[in-house]
Formats: sequence, structure tokens, C-alpha cells
Amino acid sequence: MNADSAAPGRVEIDGRLFNPYSKDFIRSPWAVWEKLVLEYPVAWHKDLNFWVVSSHDACTEMLKNNTQFTPNYKAWEHAPPEKPEAEKNDFERSLDHGLFATRTADHLRLRKLTLPAFSKPVMGKIDAKIRHLVTGVFDEIGTPETFDAFSMIAEKLPVRAIAHMVGVPTDREAFFHEFAVSVIKSTRINLPFKERQAAMQSSLKGFTYFKEVIAQRRAASHPGDDFVGSLISASEGDDRLTDYDIMAMIQAVIVAGSDTATDLHTYAIQGLLANPGQYALLRQRPELMENAIIELLRVGAFGKIPQFRYALEDVEFRGQKIRKGQGIMLNLTAAWVDPQKWDQPRQLDITRRLDGNLVFGAGAHFCIGTYLVRVQGSLMIQELMKRFPDAELLDGDGRVDYDYNHHNARRINRLMVKTNVKRVH
Amino acid sequence: MRKWICIICGYIYDEAVGIPDQGIAAGTRFEDLPPDWVCPECGSPKESFEPHVE
Repeated sequence: MNADSAAPGRVEIDGRLFNPYSKDFIRSPWAVWEKLVLEYPVAWHKDLNFWVVSSHDACTEMLKNNTQFTPNYKAWEHAPPEKPEAEKNDFERSLDHGLFATRTADHLRLRKLTLPAFSKPVMGKIDAKIRHLVTGVFDEIGTPETFDAFSMIAEKLPVRAIAHMVGVPTDREAFFHEFAVSVIKSTRINLPFKERQAAMQSSLKGFTYFKEVIAQRRAASHPGDDFVGSLISASEGDDRLTDYDIMAMIQAVIVAGSDTATDLHTYAIQGLLANPGQYALLRQRPELMENAIIELLRVGAFGKIPQFRYALEDVEFRGQKIRKGQGIMLNLTAAWVDPQKWDQPRQLDITRRLDGNLVFGAGAHFCIGTYLVRVQGSLMIQELMKRFPDAELLDGDGRVDYDYNHHNARRINRLMVKTNVKRVH
Repeated sequence: MRKWICIICGYIYDEAVGIPDQGIAAGTRFEDLPPDWVCPECGSPKESFEPHVE
């Protein structure tokens, strides 16, 4: 039986209900998501040829089930055949060493070895290292009557912060940004094969660059205390990270911290300025910052294309028969606003108890960059509150616009902020 | 009293502090947490924790 033929009892949807590429959906996904979580929590999408899992409960269950489901696209029935090792390029080898590709035991080994580089205390130190980048971005804004939060903050800050963290010199930021976008596009299976291949080819010079950086650090008397240095130093007994393990981690940081963080900034600003009471509350109670960031991400729900999983065996999941090798779209952003889990799900409440939230996923593949995102978001919001305490969205909605062609996010590419800065004459 | 770290997300369970919010009293040993207890940060099972020395 092929993937397209209907199976008895299979709950099915199609592009008329859920089309993540449509402009209407990108502008306002809420009604679609609500219908999915309430009426079609697990359904086969006839047009996308993927399962779509949407409710909070179902997403949580699947995220924590690593024996029957994997994020490794090689388990997909339509994955290209595996190349012989000798024919693989640096991108492919790094991908093989990545957290999504390794088996459970290797995955735990990698998480353990890399934990020191990603832990909360280390990210606290990164706070000090990237603070000047944040103030620099706000210095560039100055004190205008209005500014675009996308082009002045969201587009600049994440790439600068990640480039700084992994030791890329300022004059190579554009090179790094291109590398970051290429890496991300290469792994998005919703993109056409040719586009993925082109992105992969484009990423190779970035891998060459980082291989050289790693070689230089290994040759030095001390590899350094920064992120790359701590990955090189990481050890458990005689076990150490290989070059490809480290490059896979750099890949992970790029995905977690640069492209995705662009949306963190725009949606955080949008969420706060659209809710002046919450913005004021955060200024009064800065201890709520970490909770506020998670809540802002939850309510913003900026994902367009869900996360992917693949069935490792034939599975009956919540009454639906998922066949080995079939692809699954894990519709996490729908789950973030599932009314069965959250009271008044679209209302921003920075004091909300967020126990069990899936904003950074759950289980073994919980977002490795979570603290990095929190540090970066926290610094940006602190500076926004300090410089523009009376800011609001221009014309009520910030004249918001979207990049409808973005590969996986409901990417806001214009968000005008009215500063209300009192000028001294 | 010991500390335990989740190797998935870095969350630290401090036996001396417990998690009063979740009804886990200060002084609760890691071994005494229920078998189905999961990391409050990432939802990983108890097996994902290791003793942590700062």
C-alpha cells in the first residue's frame, strides 16, 4: 500500500483545512489550529502526505516517545538513499553526528558531553559577553519617533550574538549569516530537493571555516573558555567530542539561536507592546522575565511548518495506524495554544504557570539552545524597557507584515514601534 | 544532601531545597522522588539525572 491510499478508519485532512503556506494562515492561524487540536488531534494530511499531530497531549506523548518515533529524517520512507561514508561531504558528516541523527545511547553521550557548554551558568557568562551587542543595536536605533523592530533589532541581534558566541569575527558576519541560512534550509524537508541540495552546497565553505577554527584551537596550548573552547575541552573519562561532533553542535546553535531567535525578538516586542499592562508589569517585576519569555513565545506561536518526526515501526497512536517510515508533522505551535491545556490560550499572562509547556519541546530532544534564547531575549527586553518604557505599536498593530516565503516561520518582516520618547529641546 | 543534574536540559534538583511548588518538600532525596517523576524543565525521566558536583 502506498502512502497516498486511504486506510480504513484513518482520520484525514487536506490543504483546505490546513495549508501552512497560505497567506491567510500565516497572518492568522488561530482558527485553523483550534480546529486541528479539538477535532483532528492526529490526522493524515492527504496533500502534504504527512501525519499532522496537533493537540498538546498528543504532541507531549510523541515528543517523549523516542523508541517509536525519531527526528532523524533518514527513517523517512522518502529519504534519499544513504551515501557511502567516503562520498559524504562535511555537511552530511556533521549531520550524522547531530543530536537528531544519533541513536539513544549516543544522543545521551552527546548531551552529557555538551552540557557544560550549554548549561545555565555558562549562558550566564554569555550574558556578559553579548550585552554590549544588545546595547549597540539600541544605540544604532537612537531615539526616533518610530523604528522597525524587525530590521533594527530582530534581523541584526541573533546573528551577531551567535557569531560572537562561536567566535566569528565581526567582518565575517555576512558570511556567517549565509552559512546559518544554508544550514537551516538544508535540513528542511518541506523544501524541494534541489533547493535543499543548493543550500547544502552553499553551506560547505562554512564547515571548512569551522574545521579550521577547531584545528587552530586544538593546536593551541589552551582551547579557550568560550563556547567552542568548552566543546573542545569537554570530556567524560577518555571520551571527547570529535570535530564533527563539535560542528554538529555549532549547527545546532545556529538553528536554535540565529534564525529562530529572529522571531523571538519580533514576537516578544509585539506581544509586550500589544499588551501594555503586561509590559508595565514586567518593568515592575523583572523577576518574571524568564517566565515572560516562555509565555511570549507560547502566545506568539510563530511556527508555520511543524517539527518533523518519523515512525521507526508500525505504531497505533491515539487510534490511528502510523506505518513505519511515514513522516509526521508535530504541530507544536498549535499545541502551545491548545484550549484544552491553557485557559484563555491567546491571552498573554506573564505570571501564568507554564508547567508542562512545550515551548522548547520536551524529552530527549528538548531544545539545547533554550538558555541561550532566554539570555538573548532577556537582554533585548531589558534594553527595550529601559530605552522605550512608553513604547507602543504604531497604528495599533505596528503595521505588521510577513515574509510569506519564509521556509518555516510566520516571519514578521515589519513591526513598527512608536517610541513615545520625550524629546528634550 | 546532594544535587542532581538533568543531562538533557541542565536542570538541577537540589535535595536540600526540593520543589515546594510541586509539593516536593525540602530534604526529599532524589531516590525518594516517585518513579514517574519527570524533570520539571524538559519532561525527561529520572534516568536522565546524574549526581551533580559544582
